[in-house]
Formats: sequence, C-alpha cells, structure tokens
Amino acid sequence: MSKVYIIFASLLILVAFGLVLLPDTEHEDQIPPEALLKEIMNQSRFLSADLIAARIIDEDPSIMLVDVRTAEAYNSYSLPGAINIPLKETLDEEWQPYLNQRGVDVVFFSNGDLFADQAWILCSRLGYKNLYVMEGGLNQWFTQIMQPTVPPDTSPNEDFDLYSFRKAASIYFGGGAPAQSTQDIKGENIQIIRREKKTATAGGC
Amino acid sequence: MGPLIPLDIIPEQWNNVIAVIIGMAFGFIMEGSGFSSSRKIVGLFYGYDFTVLRVFFTATVTTAIGLYYFSYLGWIDMSLVYIHPTYLTAAIVGGLIMGVGFVAGGYCPGTSLIGAAIGRIDGMVFTLGLMIGIFFFSEGFSIFEGLYNGGFMGYITITEYFNISSQLFIFLFTVVAVAAFYFTTLIRRRVKQVNY
Amino acid sequence: MKNNNEKGTTYFNPYFGGVMLGLILLATFYITGRGLGASGAAKSTVVAAVDRVAPKHAEESAYYSKFISDDLHPMNTWLVFEVIGVLAGAFLSGALAGRLKFKTEHNPKITTRRRLIFAAIGGVFFGVGSQIARGCTSGAALSGAAVLSLGGFITMMAIFGSAYAFAYIFRKLWI
Repeated sequence: MSKVYIIFASLLILVAFGLVLLPDTEHEDQIPPEALLKEIMNQSRFLSADLIAARIIDEDPSIMLVDVRTAEAYNSYSLPGAINIPLKETLDEEWQPYLNQRGVDVVFFSNGDLFADQAWILCSRLGYKNLYVMEGGLNQWFTQIMQPTVPPDTSPNEDFDLYSFRKAASIYFGGGAPAQSTQDIKGENIQIIRREKKTATAGGC
Repeated sequence: MGPLIPLDIIPEQWNNVIAVIIGMAFGFIMEGSGFSSSRKIVGLFYGYDFTVLRVFFTATVTTAIGLYYFSYLGWIDMSLVYIHPTYLTAAIVGGLIMGVGFVAGGYCPGTSLIGAAIGRIDGMVFTLGLMIGIFFFSEGFSIFEGLYNGGFMGYITITEYFNISSQLFIFLFTVVAVAAFYFTTLIRRRVKQVNY
Repeated sequence: MKNNNEKGTTYFNPYFGGVMLGLILLATFYITGRGLGASGAAKSTVVAAVDRVAPKHAEESAYYSKFISDDLHPMNTWLVFEVIGVLAGAFLSGALAGRLKFKTEHNPKITTRRRLIFAAIGGVFFGVGSQIARGCTSGAALSGAAVLSLGGFITMMAIFGSAYAFAYIFRKLWI
C-alpha cells in the first residue's frame, strides 16, 4: 500500500466529510420578482372555456382541472373531473403532488378570474410548470358553454361553427339546450389546439 | 448558474457540438483506463482485475461530491438536473438481464463501443448484438410493456426515499468506496493472476 | 500517473481515470443537466434503421413511435452525437497508446468463434435489459448513481449482483 494512496484516500474522505459539515443553505427556489412580473404580463396562461370544454369532451388525460373555490361551492357545482383545492389550502403539503406535475396541464378556475389567478401566481412562484387559468372562470363557462347566445345573422361562418360547438358542448355537459335549435349542427369544427407535450431533459442511456 | 443549456446560457444549437466534445473526453479517458479490453473488465467478476470497480466508484463519488458542492455554491440548480426515474421492477429485472450479458459478453454498451473503436472485433460483435437485442425488445414491446412500466416510483433519489441527508449519504458512500478499494487489493493478491 | 501492466501497454492509473471521468460527468451535468449514455445511441440507430426499412411499421409500433417525430431525424439526438465523440476519443487514445489493432480478445483456452458467439449473446441480453431498465451501466448506473437516483442505484446493484451470480457459469470463458 503506497503512501500516496493513503493520502489521496484521506483527502477524498475529508472532502466528502466537508459536505456533511456544510450548513444547509436555503436556496431561493422562488423565481425573482422581475421574472414573475414578466410571466404575469404574459397572457398565454389563459385558456378559453371553449378549449377546455373541447379537451374535457375529448377525455384528454393531460389536463387537470383545479377548482380553487371553497369546498361548499365545489360540492354544489363544479366542472366534470375537477378536483377541489381551495385557495387558502394551495400551499398545503398534501396538494403539492397534484400541482407540481410533469406533462400535465394544471388549469385553475374559480367563479371569475381573480382567485384562480392568485393560485396561479402562488404556484408559479414555487417554480411549478404547465400552469393555466380558465379565462373568465365559471361565469364565462355558463355564458359561453352552458347558455350560448346565437350570433347575429351577419356574423362570419366561424362564429356559427363556434356556436354549434358550444351548443353541442352544452348538451354534453347537461346544460339547458337552447330553444332555437333550428340551425343544423354542422359538425364540431372548433380547432382543438393540442399543445406539444413538454418533455423534461431526456435521459441518459 | 447551471445547468447551462436548460437555462439557455449556452444556446441550444451548441448542444450537439458539446455532445461530441464531451463524448470525446469520455471515450479518451475510458479507453485510457483500459475499458476497451473485455478481459480486463471481466476481471472484476473473477477477482483478478478491479480496474472497473476503481474507475467506476471513483467517478461516481467525484461527480456526486462535485454536484453537491456546486449546488451549495449556487452554481447548479439541482431541480433542473435530470434524475433517472425509478421503475422498481423494471430496474431490477433489466439489471439482472444486463448482468448476464455483462459476464457473457465481457462488455457493456459504452465499453463495447470503445473496444470497437480501437479494432476489437468482439466489441463490434457485442455492439451488433446490442442492436439486435434492442430490436427484439422493440418488436416484442407488447410483451415487455408491463415490465417496462412496472413499479413506477417517480423521479426520486435514494436519500429522499430513505429520508436521510444527501450529504451524509455521499460521505458514507465515499467511505464504503475507499474501503472497497482497500479490500479489493487484498482479494487481488490472493487470486490466481490471469495474463491477458 | 501511468501504470504498467504485464504486457507493457500503459493504462492510466485507475483512480486518476476515475477522477477524470467523474469530472467529465460533472461537467456534463453542469453544462447539459443530464448524464452520459451509450445504449440510447444504439436504440436511435435501431429506430432509424427500422424507420428507413419499414416506416409504416415503425409508426404503428408502440415503442418505436415514441422516438419518431416529424421534424427531427431519429438519429438527431444528443446521445448519438455523444457516441460519435466517444468513438473518436477512444480511437485517439488507442492510437496514442499504440493499441489500434484488429483482433478478438479472448482467453487462449477458448476459440475466437466461441468468444464472438458469447459476445453477441451478451450484446443481445444487454440490449433487452437496457431497454427495460431505461439505461445501461453508463446511463442508468453511473449517471443515475451520481445524482443519487434510487433507480440508478438499484440498476447498478442488480447489474453487478447478477454478473457476480452468473460469473461461475461463464468462468470457462474467462479464466
């Protein structure tokens, strides 16, 4: 056994032991305020009710709806498949695995935008990814999906296609199907924009 | 602050250039350490040459210690580092199959390429066999699918699983590695030497 | 830092090699946020070959289709470029040390043919095993264990444990 090896081995163990002695650093995991502001200004987190309706109807497994209202409100009515994480429990340990997911889009909604957006900001500060907010919340959901209004006759065709989709969706979700059902449902022409799934850094071998 | 490419400090376009440079360094050191010789590698399993164990453990320990010092100094964001996912049954069954391949073939995929690069025909044949094996697996994916996805436990580290400090674990691992280096020299003296 | 073995070919001191390899792996994590690998490149080659010969089959297959995308060629992956580097680096090292030579390394007690047959069998086993475990000794065991991945450690122990367990069966090949 040569002396050099003994020296090197002791050195290695010493360096490794130094690691144990290091104080636990509280690394600022949260994103800096400037970056957060930039993300807040970016409106792409808002998903329209139509898009979400289409994804629910499609039974898209890569979407998770999170109702941030209180438990009572959730129990009286919520979107199909939504889970309930009341805003005040957003930071609770038990919910973190639901909110911090890879490859699943987490969509927050409340009655309007406000509470959902607050949950979005909290989770964004925690560094979670793939977070979205349902534009207009349940109020918009009702006016757009559940009780869609017939567009004026002068509207472009797309508006009528959208109306047909909403009417069909309304029936799907058990809403009051509107009385004026004279228009033919011309197939569901809404463009379902499928986002490319984000992949984490791919593995080694 | 690293890792550099996921944080866009080095643009994505450099990714492949860096891959070639890193690969060259990797290949150079592996070949220089004797990983191109199947008989030298297999010595580990018969006790006549422990080079593989020494290189392998020294490398693992160096990287682990380095990564945690980097993390302490704030040079690398460990949350962005890829953690190999844990599929318990897949890891065990896959590992067992690979172990048989290791003693039968005398190489692992990386070392067979290194052997092939300097003209070892067994290395080339092993690489060819490797591709055939992957082809078998892909064609029979429906058979292997349950196994492949078996026992998913997430992107978890060993220290998270046992709920101990990573730094302490690395220290203990280093001590075990040094002890292994010492005891393998003792074993090597007792085992009949093989000339290769 | 050189170590002479019986035949006079020089290899690095294993600890020197280990530290260097560790630093390279550390640099890899620092730059790219991921580890090294080898079997992934072989997989890309197989996927590319199948995609070339039978594109329809590759698209329909549950496994190949994971690695085929419209805008990127299956060979255009990080690991393929890394392996090209590995081949070049190993060639360079072999050339500098005078080890470049076409030969089959085997125990003089067995024939070349026998050695090659078992090399192929070993390769097939490694091919299947590395796909099940999502990585081989470099990708899963070395790179996985370095970041303390639970799966990395389990794969490493399973590979070496099984290799020791089966060493007795294959002893005639080597000693």
